[in-house]
Amino acid sequence: MRIARRNRNSALITLTPLVDVMLILLVFFMVTSTYLDLDMIPMVEKGDELNPTAPSTGTDGITTLLISINAAGEARFQGRTVTASALAEALRAQPDAQVLILPSGFANVQGLVEVIEAATVAGITNLRVVRLKAAQ
Amino acid sequence: MKLKLRKKSPPQETIVSLIDVVFFLLVFFMLVGRMDATSPFNVTPPESLAGEDLPSGGTTVAIGINGQLALDGTTISEAGLLQSIARQLTANPDLFVRINADGQSRLQKLLPLVSKLEQEGVRNVVLVVTPNLQ
Repeated sequence: MRIARRNRNSALITLTPLVDVMLILLVFFMVTSTYLDLDMIPMVEKGDELNPTAPSTGTDGITTLLISINAAGEARFQGRTVTASALAEALRAQPDAQVLILPSGFANVQGLVEVIEAATVAGITNLRVVRLKAAQ
Repeated sequence: MKLKLRKKSPPQETIVSLIDVVFFLLVFFMLVGRMDATSPFNVTPPESLAGEDLPSGGTTVAIGINGQLALDGTTISEAGLLQSIARQLTANPDLFVRINADGQSRLQKLLPLVSKLEQEGVRNVVLVVTPNLQ
């Protein structure tokens, strides 16, 4: 006697739950992500040690240039109010100089960033922002 | 004579191409997007072409136009912020702090805060800017 085998159907895998999960993930990433193009300017880096009492030798031959920023956010260099492009042009002649930026506390962040940008465009690599501390 | 009509089977709609497209979009948004804690107030970063690429990770301090502070999306006082940063520093001495300051906020808030962070022991602080594409 021959026993007939039941014809087995292959298991059906439905793709609908996969599509559901992927759509949920897609909507999640579209809604929660931000697409702003952001850059950074380093303010404190490793190696920038705080040592305000270290004496300055003043014999290292490095020229120090001071740029101040007034409350309106305008840069002042060598006694004159200068635009960012004029400042970059003036600094280009001395790329090895140490540049100190002394901003007014009432100046805005954009004013400081513009001066940093001008110095960077001019090739200045030794750049510091200084501020006056209130007398104690 | 009666002609027998062939039974029309409904067209097979394959969803494989849909899955392909959705998967492609999913990978695109995962790679292109950046997930950050949104600050509770509006912050428009200063514009600059001098910026370097901003790495991901770290903790974000937001400074609003009126000097409000937020740490990783939550409004916080300056004392609370410094305490929280000090706690994070004990767990991670190489803590990376991003300062997302509004371009119109005053430096009298930003600069003392950077000094205080430095005094707390943070050695990696950056200011977030956005490229000026004009």
